[in-house]
Amino acid sequence: MKNYEKFVLPAFIAVMAVLPHLLNERWQAVAITFLIFSVVALSQDIILGKSGMFNMGQALFFGMGAYTTAILNNEYGWSIVSTIPLAILIPAIFGILLAGPIVHLRGDYLLVVTIGFNIVFVQVLQNNLGGVTGGPNGIFGLDSLSIFGYDLMNQVAVYYFAFIVLLLTLWIMSNLEKSKPGRALHYLREDQLAAESIGINTRVYKIFAFGLGAGIAGLAGTVFAVQYSAVSPEAFEFIQSVLFFSIVLVGGSSIPGVMLGVFVMFVVPEIFREFATWRYFIFGFAMIAAMILRPRGIVPATFGKIPKFLIKGGSHGA
Amino acid sequence: MARNELILTDVTKRFGGLTAVDALSLKVEDGQIYGLIGPNGAGKTTAFNNITGIYRPEEGSINWRGEEITGLTPYQIVDRGIVRTFQTIRLFSQMSVAENIMSGRHIKSKQSWWHGIIPTPGKKQDELENWKKVEEQLDFFKLGEFAATPVGSLPYGIQRRVEMARAMAVEPTLLILDEPAAGLNDKETMELLETIFKIRDSGVTVFLIEHDMDMVMEVTDYLTVINFGKKIAEGTPAEIQKNPAVIEAYLGSEDDDDE
Ligand SMILES: Nc1ncnc2c1ncn2[C@@H]1O[C@H](COP(=O)(O)OP(=O)(O)OP(=O)(O)O)[C@@H](O)[C@H]1O
Ligand SMILES: [Mg+2]
Repeated sequence: MKNYEKFVLPAFIAVMAVLPHLLNERWQAVAITFLIFSVVALSQDIILGKSGMFNMGQALFFGMGAYTTAILNNEYGWSIVSTIPLAILIPAIFGILLAGPIVHLRGDYLLVVTIGFNIVFVQVLQNNLGGVTGGPNGIFGLDSLSIFGYDLMNQVAVYYFAFIVLLLTLWIMSNLEKSKPGRALHYLREDQLAAESIGINTRVYKIFAFGLGAGIAGLAGTVFAVQYSAVSPEAFEFIQSVLFFSIVLVGGSSIPGVMLGVFVMFVVPEIFREFATWRYFIFGFAMIAAMILRPRGIVPATFGKIPKFLIKGGSHGA
Repeated sequence: MARNELILTDVTKRFGGLTAVDALSLKVEDGQIYGLIGPNGAGKTTAFNNITGIYRPEEGSINWRGEEITGLTPYQIVDRGIVRTFQTIRLFSQMSVAENIMSGRHIKSKQSWWHGIIPTPGKKQDELENWKKVEEQLDFFKLGEFAATPVGSLPYGIQRRVEMARAMAVEPTLLILDEPAAGLNDKETMELLETIFKIRDSGVTVFLIEHDMDMVMEVTDYLTVINFGKKIAEGTPAEIQKNPAVIEAYLGSEDDDDE
Protein backbone atom coordinates (compact mmCIF):
# COMPACT_ATOMS: atom_id res chain seq x y z
CA MET A 1 0.00 0.00 0.00
CA LYS A 2 2.90 2.31 0.74
CA ASN A 3 4.22 1.63 -2.74
CA TYR A 4 0.85 2.47 -4.13
CA GLU A 5 0.69 5.88 -2.52
CA LYS A 6 4.32 6.72 -3.07
CA PHE A 7 4.85 5.50 -6.63
CA VAL A 8 1.91 3.93 -8.36
CA LEU A 9 -0.58 6.72 -7.82
CA PRO A 10 1.77 9.61 -8.74
CA ALA A 11 2.99 7.68 -11.77
CA PHE A 12 -0.57 7.01 -12.83
CA ILE A 13 -1.49 10.67 -12.45
CA ALA A 14 1.58 11.77 -14.39
CA VAL A 15 0.78 9.42 -17.26
CA MET A 16 -2.84 10.48 -17.32
CA ALA A 17 -1.81 14.13 -17.37
CA VAL A 18 0.07 13.81 -20.66
CA LEU A 19 -1.97 10.98 -22.16
CA PRO A 20 -4.24 12.89 -24.57
CA HIS A 21 -1.21 14.22 -26.43
CA LEU A 22 -0.10 10.67 -27.16
CA LEU A 23 -3.45 9.49 -28.46
CA ASN A 24 -5.48 9.98 -31.58
CA GLU A 25 -9.07 11.16 -31.47
CA ARG A 26 -10.60 7.76 -31.10
CA TRP A 27 -8.38 6.80 -28.20
CA GLN A 28 -8.89 10.16 -26.57
CA ALA A 29 -12.59 9.38 -26.52
CA VAL A 30 -11.87 6.00 -24.95
CA ALA A 31 -9.69 7.67 -22.34
CA ILE A 32 -12.44 10.15 -21.49
CA THR A 33 -14.89 7.30 -21.07
CA PHE A 34 -12.41 5.60 -18.79
CA LEU A 35 -12.12 8.73 -16.65
CA ILE A 36 -15.86 9.26 -16.40
CA PHE A 37 -16.67 5.68 -15.55
CA SER A 38 -13.82 5.59 -13.05
CA VAL A 39 -15.43 8.48 -11.22
CA VAL A 40 -18.82 6.75 -11.20
CA ALA A 41 -17.28 3.48 -10.04
CA LEU A 42 -15.40 5.29 -7.26
CA SER A 43 -18.61 7.00 -6.19
CA GLN A 44 -20.25 3.59 -6.05
CA ASP A 45 -17.27 2.41 -4.01
CA ILE A 46 -18.14 4.96 -1.32
CA ILE A 47 -21.61 3.45 -0.96
CA LEU A 48 -20.92 -0.21 -1.66
CA GLY A 49 -17.26 -0.73 -0.86
CA LYS A 50 -16.67 1.60 2.04
CA SER A 51 -20.09 1.39 3.63
CA GLY A 52 -21.18 -2.07 2.57
CA MET A 53 -24.58 -0.99 1.29
CA PHE A 54 -25.85 -3.02 -1.65
CA ASN A 55 -26.78 -0.16 -3.90
CA MET A 56 -27.69 -1.36 -7.38
CA GLY A 57 -28.85 2.01 -8.67
CA GLN A 58 -25.76 4.13 -9.10
CA ALA A 59 -26.56 4.83 -12.77
CA LEU A 60 -29.59 6.75 -11.51
CA PHE A 61 -27.44 9.40 -9.83
CA PHE A 62 -25.04 9.44 -12.76
CA GLY A 63 -27.95 10.02 -15.11
CA MET A 64 -29.55 12.59 -12.88
CA GLY A 65 -26.39 14.70 -13.03
CA ALA A 66 -26.18 14.30 -16.80
CA TYR A 67 -29.81 15.25 -17.29
CA THR A 68 -29.53 18.19 -14.91
CA THR A 69 -26.74 19.61 -17.03
CA ALA A 70 -28.52 18.79 -20.28
CA ILE A 71 -31.86 20.26 -19.26
CA LEU A 72 -30.44 23.41 -17.72
CA ASN A 73 -28.26 23.99 -20.76
CA ASN A 74 -30.73 23.02 -23.42
CA GLU A 75 -33.99 24.31 -21.98
CA TYR A 76 -32.83 27.20 -19.88
CA GLY A 77 -29.67 28.24 -21.64
CA TRP A 78 -27.35 27.92 -18.67
CA SER A 79 -23.70 27.54 -19.57
CA ILE A 80 -22.33 24.05 -18.95
CA VAL A 81 -20.04 25.19 -16.16
CA SER A 82 -22.85 26.96 -14.33
CA THR A 83 -24.89 23.75 -14.25
CA ILE A 84 -22.21 21.95 -12.23
CA PRO A 85 -23.36 22.94 -8.74
CA LEU A 86 -26.89 21.71 -9.40
CA ALA A 87 -25.67 18.62 -11.23
CA ILE A 88 -23.95 17.70 -7.97
CA LEU A 89 -26.59 18.92 -5.54
CA ILE A 90 -29.73 17.52 -7.14
CA PRO A 91 -28.47 13.92 -7.24
CA ALA A 92 -26.95 14.36 -3.76
CA ILE A 93 -30.26 15.55 -2.32
CA PHE A 94 -32.08 12.81 -4.17
CA GLY A 95 -29.60 10.30 -2.79
CA ILE A 96 -30.27 11.54 0.71
CA LEU A 97 -34.04 11.48 0.27
CA LEU A 98 -34.04 8.03 -1.30
CA ALA A 99 -31.63 6.65 1.27
CA GLY A 100 -33.54 7.97 4.28
CA PRO A 101 -36.31 5.38 4.26
CA ILE A 102 -34.23 2.44 2.98
CA VAL A 103 -30.79 2.39 4.56
CA HIS A 104 -31.97 0.28 7.46
CA LEU A 105 -32.84 -2.50 5.01
CA ARG A 106 -30.74 -5.62 4.91
CA GLY A 107 -28.40 -6.05 1.94
CA ASP A 108 -30.63 -8.03 -0.38
CA TYR A 109 -33.70 -5.88 0.24
CA LEU A 110 -31.72 -2.71 -0.33
CA LEU A 111 -30.50 -4.20 -3.59
CA VAL A 112 -34.02 -4.79 -4.86
CA VAL A 113 -35.28 -1.38 -3.79
CA THR A 114 -32.42 0.45 -5.52
CA ILE A 115 -32.97 -1.57 -8.70
CA GLY A 116 -36.57 -0.41 -8.50
CA PHE A 117 -35.53 3.23 -8.21
CA ASN A 118 -33.25 2.88 -11.20
CA ILE A 119 -35.99 1.35 -13.35
CA VAL A 120 -38.50 4.02 -12.34
CA PHE A 121 -35.94 6.70 -13.17
CA VAL A 122 -35.35 5.38 -16.68
CA GLN A 123 -39.11 5.07 -17.22
CA VAL A 124 -39.55 8.68 -16.19
CA LEU A 125 -36.91 9.75 -18.70
CA GLN A 126 -38.41 7.70 -21.49
CA ASN A 127 -41.92 8.96 -20.91
CA ASN A 128 -40.69 12.51 -21.04
CA LEU A 129 -42.21 13.44 -17.74
CA GLY A 130 -42.60 17.16 -17.38
CA GLY A 131 -41.74 17.47 -21.06
CA VAL A 132 -38.09 18.26 -20.40
CA THR A 133 -36.27 14.92 -20.68
CA GLY A 134 -36.75 14.46 -24.39
CA GLY A 135 -38.28 10.98 -24.16
CA PRO A 136 -36.51 7.93 -25.55
CA ASN A 137 -34.24 10.03 -27.76
CA GLY A 138 -33.01 12.14 -24.90
CA ILE A 139 -31.55 15.60 -25.35
CA PHE A 140 -28.89 16.47 -27.89
CA GLY A 141 -27.03 19.45 -29.17
CA LEU A 142 -25.67 20.68 -25.87
CA ASP A 143 -23.26 23.57 -25.84
CA SER A 144 -19.59 22.80 -25.55
CA LEU A 145 -17.63 23.58 -22.48
CA SER A 146 -16.73 27.24 -22.18
CA ILE A 147 -14.76 28.94 -19.49
CA PHE A 148 -14.39 32.72 -19.25
CA GLY A 149 -15.96 33.10 -22.64
CA TYR A 150 -13.54 30.69 -24.34
CA ASP A 151 -15.19 27.80 -26.09
CA LEU A 152 -13.31 24.61 -25.35
CA MET A 153 -14.58 22.63 -28.27
CA ASN A 154 -11.85 20.10 -28.73
CA GLN A 155 -11.70 16.72 -27.12
CA VAL A 156 -8.50 17.45 -25.26
CA ALA A 157 -10.35 20.08 -23.25
CA VAL A 158 -13.06 17.58 -22.39
CA TYR A 159 -10.36 15.12 -21.40
CA TYR A 160 -8.84 17.58 -18.95
CA PHE A 161 -12.25 18.41 -17.58
CA ALA A 162 -12.81 14.70 -16.92
CA PHE A 163 -9.30 14.38 -15.51
CA ILE A 164 -9.84 17.23 -13.07
CA VAL A 165 -13.08 15.61 -11.94
CA LEU A 166 -11.24 12.34 -11.35
CA LEU A 167 -8.50 14.11 -9.38
CA LEU A 168 -11.15 15.86 -7.31
CA THR A 169 -12.80 12.52 -6.61
CA LEU A 170 -9.51 10.93 -5.57
CA TRP A 171 -8.81 13.91 -3.35
CA ILE A 172 -12.21 13.64 -1.67
CA MET A 173 -11.74 9.93 -1.15
CA SER A 174 -8.37 10.41 0.46
CA ASN A 175 -9.87 13.05 2.74
CA LEU A 176 -12.67 10.68 3.59
CA GLU A 177 -10.22 7.94 4.48
CA LYS A 178 -8.57 10.16 7.08
CA SER A 179 -11.70 11.52 8.68
CA LYS A 180 -14.24 10.69 11.32
CA PRO A 181 -17.08 10.11 8.84
CA GLY A 182 -14.90 7.92 6.63
CA ARG A 183 -13.89 5.71 9.51
CA ALA A 184 -17.48 5.56 10.72
CA LEU A 185 -18.40 4.03 7.36
CA HIS A 186 -15.73 1.36 7.71
CA TYR A 187 -16.86 0.56 11.22
CA LEU A 188 -20.52 0.26 10.38
CA ARG A 189 -19.72 -1.90 7.40
CA GLU A 190 -17.75 -4.34 9.52
CA ASP A 191 -20.15 -4.56 12.43
CA GLN A 192 -23.13 -2.31 12.68
CA LEU A 193 -24.04 -3.23 16.24
CA ALA A 194 -20.51 -2.71 17.45
CA ALA A 195 -20.43 0.65 15.67
CA GLU A 196 -23.64 1.74 17.36
CA SER A 197 -22.32 0.53 20.67
CA ILE A 198 -19.40 2.89 20.58
CA GLY A 199 -21.62 5.80 19.72
CA ILE A 200 -21.93 5.93 15.94
CA ASN A 201 -25.29 6.99 14.61
CA THR A 202 -25.05 4.54 11.73
CA ARG A 203 -28.15 5.83 9.98
CA VAL A 204 -26.75 9.32 9.58
CA TYR A 205 -23.48 8.05 8.13
CA LYS A 206 -25.19 5.67 5.73
CA ILE A 207 -27.27 8.54 4.40
CA PHE A 208 -24.13 10.66 4.23
CA ALA A 209 -22.47 7.98 2.09
CA PHE A 210 -25.43 7.90 -0.26
CA GLY A 211 -25.46 11.67 -0.56
CA LEU A 212 -21.74 11.88 -1.23
CA GLY A 213 -21.72 8.97 -3.67
CA ALA A 214 -24.70 10.41 -5.52
CA GLY A 215 -23.17 13.89 -5.72
CA ILE A 216 -19.93 12.60 -7.21
CA ALA A 217 -21.80 10.41 -9.69
CA GLY A 218 -23.84 13.47 -10.64
CA LEU A 219 -20.69 15.42 -11.42
CA ALA A 220 -19.50 12.54 -13.59
CA GLY A 221 -22.86 12.88 -15.34
CA THR A 222 -22.04 16.44 -16.33
CA VAL A 223 -18.79 15.29 -17.91
CA PHE A 224 -20.65 12.55 -19.72
CA ALA A 225 -23.17 15.04 -21.11
CA VAL A 226 -20.32 17.25 -22.27
CA GLN A 227 -18.46 14.41 -23.94
CA TYR A 228 -21.39 13.36 -26.09
CA SER A 229 -23.07 16.77 -26.04
CA ALA A 230 -26.15 14.64 -25.58
CA VAL A 231 -27.90 12.44 -23.02
CA SER A 232 -30.32 9.59 -23.52
CA PRO A 233 -32.05 7.14 -21.17
CA GLU A 234 -30.29 3.94 -22.20
CA ALA A 235 -26.94 5.18 -20.88
CA PHE A 236 -28.38 5.07 -17.37
CA GLU A 237 -30.19 1.76 -17.47
CA PHE A 238 -30.12 -0.60 -14.56
CA ILE A 239 -27.60 -2.80 -16.39
CA GLN A 240 -25.10 0.05 -16.06
CA SER A 241 -25.64 -0.01 -12.32
CA VAL A 242 -24.93 -3.73 -12.36
CA LEU A 243 -21.61 -3.01 -14.06
CA PHE A 244 -20.60 -0.40 -11.49
CA PHE A 245 -21.65 -2.73 -8.72
CA SER A 246 -19.61 -5.59 -10.17
CA ILE A 247 -16.60 -3.43 -10.83
CA VAL A 248 -16.40 -2.43 -7.18
CA LEU A 249 -16.83 -6.00 -5.97
CA VAL A 250 -14.41 -7.49 -8.46
CA GLY A 251 -11.91 -4.67 -8.02
CA GLY A 252 -11.95 -5.13 -4.27
CA SER A 253 -13.10 -1.71 -3.17
CA SER A 254 -9.67 -0.15 -3.42
CA ILE A 255 -8.86 2.71 -5.76
CA PRO A 256 -6.43 0.72 -7.95
CA GLY A 257 -8.82 -2.25 -7.91
CA VAL A 258 -11.81 -0.20 -8.97
CA MET A 259 -9.89 1.57 -11.73
CA LEU A 260 -8.54 -1.73 -12.96
CA GLY A 261 -12.11 -2.99 -13.12
CA VAL A 262 -13.15 0.02 -15.18
CA PHE A 263 -10.19 -0.52 -17.46
CA VAL A 264 -11.06 -4.15 -18.07
CA MET A 265 -14.71 -3.35 -18.62
CA PHE A 266 -14.51 -0.25 -20.78
CA VAL A 267 -11.04 -0.02 -22.29
CA VAL A 268 -10.01 -3.59 -23.02
CA PRO A 269 -13.04 -4.17 -25.30
CA GLU A 270 -11.90 -1.16 -27.34
CA ILE A 271 -8.44 -2.63 -27.73
CA PHE A 272 -9.90 -5.86 -29.03
CA ARG A 273 -12.59 -4.22 -31.00
CA GLU A 274 -13.52 -7.35 -32.88
CA PHE A 275 -14.43 -8.81 -29.56
CA ALA A 276 -16.49 -5.86 -28.41
CA THR A 277 -19.66 -7.89 -28.57
CA TRP A 278 -17.99 -10.35 -26.23
CA ARG A 279 -17.41 -7.77 -23.60
CA TYR A 280 -20.12 -8.86 -21.19
CA PHE A 281 -19.14 -12.41 -21.82
CA ILE A 282 -15.49 -11.72 -20.97
CA PHE A 283 -16.32 -9.52 -18.05
CA GLY A 284 -18.78 -12.09 -16.78
CA PHE A 285 -16.06 -14.71 -16.78
CA ALA A 286 -13.58 -12.34 -15.22
CA MET A 287 -16.11 -11.68 -12.47
CA ILE A 288 -16.68 -15.35 -11.81
CA ALA A 289 -12.98 -16.12 -11.81
CA ALA A 290 -12.13 -13.17 -9.61
CA MET A 291 -14.79 -14.00 -7.07
CA ILE A 292 -13.67 -17.60 -6.85
CA LEU A 293 -9.93 -16.92 -6.81
CA ARG A 294 -9.99 -13.63 -4.90
CA PRO A 295 -13.26 -13.36 -3.00
CA ARG A 296 -12.16 -10.05 -1.51
CA GLY A 297 -11.46 -8.56 -4.93
CA ILE A 298 -8.49 -8.30 -7.24
CA VAL A 299 -6.84 -5.57 -5.18
CA PRO A 300 -8.52 -5.85 -1.78
CA ALA A 301 -8.99 -2.73 0.30
CA THR A 302 -6.45 -2.54 3.06
CA PHE A 303 -6.76 -0.93 6.41
CA GLY A 304 -4.01 0.24 8.67
CA LYS A 305 -3.94 3.89 7.80
CA ILE A 306 -2.66 4.87 11.19
CA PRO A 307 -0.14 7.56 12.04
CA LYS A 308 3.50 6.51 12.14
CA PHE A 309 4.04 7.47 15.76
CA LEU A 310 1.74 4.64 16.81
CA ILE A 311 3.76 1.94 15.10
CA LYS A 312 6.36 0.68 17.52
CA GLY A 313 8.62 -2.30 17.45
CA GLY A 314 7.77 -2.83 13.82
CA SER A 315 7.63 -6.60 14.01
CA HIS A 316 3.87 -6.41 13.61
CA GLY A 317 3.85 -3.24 11.59
CA ALA A 318 1.89 -2.86 8.39
CA MET B 1 -24.41 17.91 38.83
CA ALA B 2 -26.24 14.63 38.97
CA ARG B 3 -24.42 11.69 40.46
CA ASN B 4 -23.37 8.77 38.31
CA GLU B 5 -26.15 6.52 39.44
CA LEU B 6 -27.82 3.83 37.39
CA ILE B 7 -31.23 2.81 38.68
CA LEU B 8 -33.25 -0.01 37.19
CA THR B 9 -36.86 -0.22 38.34
CA ASP B 10 -38.94 -3.29 37.53
CA VAL B 11 -37.29 -3.79 34.16
CA THR B 12 -38.99 -6.59 32.27
CA LYS B 13 -38.01 -8.03 28.90
CA ARG B 14 -39.90 -10.83 27.21
CA PHE B 15 -39.08 -12.92 24.17
CA GLY B 16 -42.36 -14.45 23.11
CA GLY B 17 -43.45 -16.55 26.04
CA LEU B 18 -40.09 -16.33 27.80
CA THR B 19 -39.54 -13.63 30.37
CA ALA B 20 -35.80 -13.20 30.09
CA VAL B 21 -35.65 -10.35 32.59
CA ASP B 22 -38.41 -10.25 35.15
CA ALA B 23 -39.10 -7.07 37.12
CA LEU B 24 -35.43 -6.45 37.81
CA SER B 25 -34.59 -3.56 40.11
CA LEU B 26 -31.13 -2.53 41.16
CA LYS B 27 -29.02 0.49 41.80
CA VAL B 28 -25.41 0.98 40.75
CA GLU B 29 -23.77 3.77 42.68
CA ASP B 30 -21.08 6.22 41.74
CA GLY B 31 -17.60 4.71 41.89
CA GLN B 32 -18.71 1.16 42.53
CA ILE B 33 -17.61 -2.02 40.89
CA TYR B 34 -20.98 -3.66 40.68
CA GLY B 35 -21.51 -7.28 39.73
CA LEU B 36 -24.43 -8.99 38.06
CA ILE B 37 -24.23 -12.73 38.37
CA GLY B 38 -26.41 -15.74 37.78
CA PRO B 39 -26.41 -19.13 36.10
CA ASN B 40 -26.41 -19.64 32.33
CA GLY B 41 -29.42 -18.14 30.66
CA ALA B 42 -30.39 -16.19 33.76
CA GLY B 43 -30.94 -13.03 31.74
CA LYS B 44 -27.76 -11.09 32.53
CA THR B 45 -26.83 -10.21 28.98
CA THR B 46 -30.44 -9.35 28.23
CA ALA B 47 -30.44 -6.95 31.18
CA PHE B 48 -27.31 -5.26 29.76
CA ASN B 49 -28.89 -5.12 26.33
CA ASN B 50 -31.82 -3.25 27.82
CA ILE B 51 -29.57 -0.74 29.51
CA THR B 52 -27.48 -0.15 26.41
CA GLY B 53 -30.44 0.33 24.11
CA ILE B 54 -30.09 -2.83 22.06
CA TYR B 55 -33.45 -3.97 23.43
CA ARG B 56 -36.31 -1.92 24.71
CA PRO B 57 -37.86 -3.31 27.89
CA GLU B 58 -41.60 -4.02 27.83
CA GLU B 59 -41.96 -2.65 31.33
CA GLY B 60 -39.99 -0.73 33.88
CA SER B 61 -37.63 2.18 33.74
CA ILE B 62 -33.92 2.72 33.48
CA ASN B 63 -32.58 5.91 34.95
CA TRP B 64 -29.05 7.25 34.59
CA ARG B 65 -27.82 10.37 36.35
CA GLY B 66 -31.40 11.39 36.97
CA GLU B 67 -32.42 10.98 33.34
CA GLU B 68 -34.82 8.42 31.98
CA ILE B 69 -32.88 6.50 29.33
CA THR B 70 -35.33 3.68 28.62
CA GLY B 71 -35.80 3.20 24.91
CA LEU B 72 -32.90 5.36 23.76
CA THR B 73 -30.82 3.97 20.90
CA PRO B 74 -27.37 2.49 21.55
CA TYR B 75 -25.51 5.55 20.26
CA GLN B 76 -27.65 7.85 22.40
CA ILE B 77 -26.74 5.75 25.41
CA VAL B 78 -23.04 6.06 24.56
CA ASP B 79 -23.51 9.79 24.26
CA ARG B 80 -24.58 9.77 27.90
CA GLY B 81 -21.37 8.12 29.00
CA ILE B 82 -22.37 4.46 29.14
CA VAL B 83 -20.16 2.15 27.11
CA ARG B 84 -20.15 -1.63 26.97
CA THR B 85 -18.18 -4.64 25.83
CA PHE B 86 -19.73 -7.84 24.53
CA GLN B 87 -19.78 -11.37 25.83
CA THR B 88 -18.74 -12.63 22.42
CA ILE B 89 -16.13 -10.13 21.28
CA ARG B 90 -17.33 -7.70 18.65
CA LEU B 91 -14.33 -5.99 17.16
CA PHE B 92 -13.75 -4.72 13.64
CA SER B 93 -11.67 -7.75 12.91
CA GLN B 94 -10.04 -6.71 9.63
CA MET B 95 -8.87 -3.43 11.06
CA SER B 96 -5.79 -2.75 13.09
CA VAL B 97 -5.81 -2.52 16.86
CA ALA B 98 -5.23 1.23 16.66
CA GLU B 99 -8.15 1.75 14.30
CA ASN B 100 -10.38 -0.29 16.56
CA ILE B 101 -9.49 1.90 19.49
CA MET B 102 -9.89 4.99 17.32
CA SER B 103 -13.52 3.99 16.78
CA GLY B 104 -14.01 4.73 20.45
CA ARG B 105 -12.98 8.32 19.79
CA HIS B 106 -15.89 8.83 17.42
CA ILE B 107 -18.11 10.82 19.73
CA LYS B 108 -15.21 12.81 21.15
CA SER B 109 -13.98 13.90 17.75
CA LYS B 110 -15.13 17.38 16.84
CA GLN B 111 -15.33 16.70 13.11
CA SER B 112 -18.55 17.22 11.19
CA TRP B 113 -19.77 15.21 8.25
CA TRP B 114 -18.27 17.68 5.78
CA HIS B 115 -14.79 17.08 7.14
CA GLY B 116 -15.05 13.79 5.28
CA ILE B 117 -15.05 15.80 2.08
CA ILE B 118 -13.00 18.93 2.72
CA PRO B 119 -10.11 19.00 5.16
CA THR B 120 -9.39 22.01 7.35
CA PRO B 121 -6.45 22.75 9.65
CA GLY B 122 -8.85 22.18 12.55
CA LYS B 123 -9.62 18.72 11.28
CA LYS B 124 -5.97 17.81 11.08
CA GLN B 125 -5.49 18.95 14.64
CA ASP B 126 -8.52 16.97 15.76
CA GLU B 127 -7.22 13.83 14.05
CA LEU B 128 -3.89 14.18 15.76
CA GLU B 129 -5.43 14.76 19.18
CA ASN B 130 -7.59 11.68 18.88
CA TRP B 131 -4.74 9.47 17.68
CA LYS B 132 -2.82 10.70 20.73
CA LYS B 133 -5.70 9.49 22.89
CA VAL B 134 -5.51 6.18 21.10
CA GLU B 135 -1.85 6.04 22.00
CA GLU B 136 -2.75 6.56 25.67
CA GLN B 137 -5.09 3.58 25.55
CA LEU B 138 -2.50 1.50 23.71
CA ASP B 139 -0.09 2.22 26.54
CA PHE B 140 -2.62 1.69 29.31
CA PHE B 141 -3.67 -1.69 27.95
CA LYS B 142 -0.10 -2.62 26.92
CA LEU B 143 -1.13 -3.00 23.30
CA GLY B 144 1.51 -0.75 21.74
CA GLU B 145 3.33 -3.50 19.89
CA PHE B 146 0.11 -4.60 18.17
CA ALA B 147 -1.00 -1.13 17.07
CA ALA B 148 -0.85 -1.90 13.35
CA THR B 149 -1.91 -5.55 13.56
CA PRO B 150 -5.37 -6.55 12.36
CA VAL B 151 -7.26 -7.60 15.49
CA GLY B 152 -8.73 -10.67 13.87
CA SER B 153 -5.31 -12.28 13.83
CA LEU B 154 -4.60 -11.74 17.53
CA PRO B 155 -5.08 -14.23 20.37
CA TYR B 156 -8.34 -14.11 22.25
CA GLY B 157 -6.92 -12.63 25.44
CA ILE B 158 -5.48 -9.68 23.54
CA GLN B 159 -8.72 -9.15 21.65
CA ARG B 160 -10.52 -8.84 24.98
CA ARG B 161 -8.05 -6.13 25.94
CA VAL B 162 -8.59 -4.32 22.65
CA GLU B 163 -12.33 -4.34 23.22
CA MET B 164 -11.87 -2.78 26.63
CA ALA B 165 -9.42 -0.24 25.27
CA ARG B 166 -11.94 0.71 22.60
CA ALA B 167 -14.61 1.21 25.25
CA MET B 168 -12.27 3.25 27.45
CA ALA B 169 -11.33 5.45 24.49
CA VAL B 170 -14.88 6.82 24.66
CA GLU B 171 -14.02 8.12 28.16
CA PRO B 172 -17.15 6.62 29.69
CA THR B 173 -18.50 7.36 33.13
CA LEU B 174 -20.12 3.93 33.35
CA LEU B 175 -18.28 0.97 31.86
CA ILE B 176 -20.37 -2.16 31.31
CA LEU B 177 -18.47 -5.41 30.85
CA ASP B 178 -20.18 -8.62 29.80
CA GLU B 179 -18.06 -11.49 31.12
CA PRO B 180 -14.70 -9.78 30.63
CA ALA B 181 -12.81 -12.80 31.98
CA ALA B 182 -14.47 -15.37 29.74
CA GLY B 183 -11.81 -17.33 27.92
CA LEU B 184 -8.89 -15.76 29.76
CA ASN B 185 -6.19 -17.80 31.48
CA ASP B 186 -5.29 -17.21 35.13
CA LYS B 187 -2.54 -14.74 34.43
CA GLU B 188 -4.72 -12.75 32.08
CA THR B 189 -7.53 -12.78 34.61
CA MET B 190 -5.20 -11.36 37.26
CA GLU B 191 -4.16 -8.60 34.90
CA LEU B 192 -7.80 -7.93 34.12
CA LEU B 193 -8.56 -7.48 37.81
CA GLU B 194 -5.79 -4.95 38.13
CA THR B 195 -7.02 -3.13 35.06
CA ILE B 196 -10.57 -2.98 36.38
CA PHE B 197 -9.36 -1.55 39.69
CA LYS B 198 -7.30 1.04 37.85
CA ILE B 199 -10.26 2.02 35.73
CA ARG B 200 -12.44 2.42 38.79
CA ASP B 201 -9.76 4.46 40.53
CA SER B 202 -9.73 6.81 37.56
CA GLY B 203 -13.33 7.68 38.39
CA VAL B 204 -15.26 5.29 36.16
CA THR B 205 -18.11 3.27 37.60
CA VAL B 206 -17.93 -0.37 36.52
CA PHE B 207 -20.88 -2.71 36.06
CA LEU B 208 -19.95 -6.23 35.10
CA ILE B 209 -21.35 -9.66 34.49
CA GLU B 210 -19.17 -12.53 35.56
CA HIS B 211 -19.42 -16.27 35.68
CA ASP B 212 -16.23 -16.88 37.58
CA MET B 213 -17.34 -16.70 41.23
CA ASP B 214 -13.83 -16.30 42.61
CA MET B 215 -13.24 -13.33 40.41
CA VAL B 216 -16.57 -11.75 41.28
CA MET B 217 -15.92 -12.08 44.98
CA GLU B 218 -12.54 -10.46 44.59
CA VAL B 219 -13.40 -7.59 42.37
CA THR B 220 -16.90 -6.35 43.16
CA ASP B 221 -18.14 -4.05 45.90
CA TYR B 222 -21.72 -5.04 45.56
CA LEU B 223 -23.67 -7.70 43.68
CA THR B 224 -27.05 -8.64 42.35
CA VAL B 225 -27.78 -12.28 41.66
CA ILE B 226 -30.46 -13.25 39.17
CA ASN B 227 -31.93 -16.55 38.12
CA PHE B 228 -34.61 -17.08 35.48
CA GLY B 229 -34.67 -13.32 35.03
CA LYS B 230 -35.58 -12.61 38.65
CA LYS B 231 -33.44 -11.14 41.33
CA ILE B 232 -32.78 -13.73 44.02
CA ALA B 233 -30.31 -11.81 46.16
CA GLU B 234 -28.22 -8.70 46.50
CA GLY B 235 -25.47 -7.63 48.83
CA THR B 236 -21.76 -7.46 49.34
CA PRO B 237 -19.69 -10.41 48.16
CA ALA B 238 -19.41 -11.69 51.72
CA GLU B 239 -23.17 -11.61 52.19
CA ILE B 240 -23.83 -13.23 48.83
CA GLN B 241 -21.46 -16.09 49.54
CA LYS B 242 -23.50 -17.04 52.57
CA ASN B 243 -26.88 -16.62 50.93
CA PRO B 244 -28.67 -19.98 50.74
CA ALA B 245 -30.73 -19.05 47.66
CA VAL B 246 -27.57 -18.18 45.77
CA ILE B 247 -25.79 -21.32 46.83
CA GLU B 248 -28.73 -23.35 45.63
CA ALA B 249 -29.00 -21.60 42.29
CA TYR B 250 -25.32 -22.10 41.67
CA LEU B 251 -25.10 -25.66 42.93
CA GLY B 252 -27.98 -26.51 40.62
CA SER B 253 -26.08 -25.32 37.62
CA GLU B 254 -22.49 -25.91 38.66
CA ASP B 255 -21.88 -28.39 35.85
CA ASP B 256 -22.64 -26.12 32.95
CA ASP B 257 -20.94 -23.20 34.54
CA ASP B 258 -18.35 -22.74 31.89
CA GLU B 259 -19.71 -22.33 28.41
N1 LIG C 1 -32.88 -12.27 21.11
C1 LIG C 1 -33.42 -13.27 21.83
N2 LIG C 1 -34.53 -13.90 21.39
C2 LIG C 1 -35.08 -14.89 22.11
N3 LIG C 1 -34.61 -15.32 23.28
C3 LIG C 1 -33.52 -14.74 23.78
C4 LIG C 1 -32.86 -13.68 23.09
N4 LIG C 1 -31.78 -13.27 23.80
C5 LIG C 1 -31.78 -14.05 24.89
N5 LIG C 1 -32.82 -14.93 24.90
C6 LIG C 1 -33.13 -15.88 25.94
O1 LIG C 1 -33.24 -15.16 27.13
C7 LIG C 1 -32.68 -15.90 28.21
C8 LIG C 1 -31.62 -15.08 28.88
O2 LIG C 1 -30.51 -14.98 28.01
P1 LIG C 1 -29.22 -14.14 28.37
O3 LIG C 1 -28.33 -14.20 27.19
O4 LIG C 1 -29.62 -12.83 28.87
O5 LIG C 1 -28.62 -14.99 29.55
P2 LIG C 1 -27.25 -14.79 30.32
O6 LIG C 1 -27.58 -14.68 31.74
O7 LIG C 1 -26.45 -13.72 29.74
O8 LIG C 1 -26.58 -16.20 30.05
P3 LIG C 1 -25.05 -16.58 29.81
O9 LIG C 1 -24.44 -16.73 31.13
O10 LIG C 1 -25.15 -17.87 29.10
O11 LIG C 1 -24.44 -15.51 29.00
C9 LIG C 1 -32.16 -17.20 27.64
O12 LIG C 1 -33.14 -18.18 27.86
C10 LIG C 1 -32.02 -16.89 26.17
O13 LIG C 1 -32.23 -18.04 25.40
MG1 LIG D 1 -24.71 -13.59 28.73
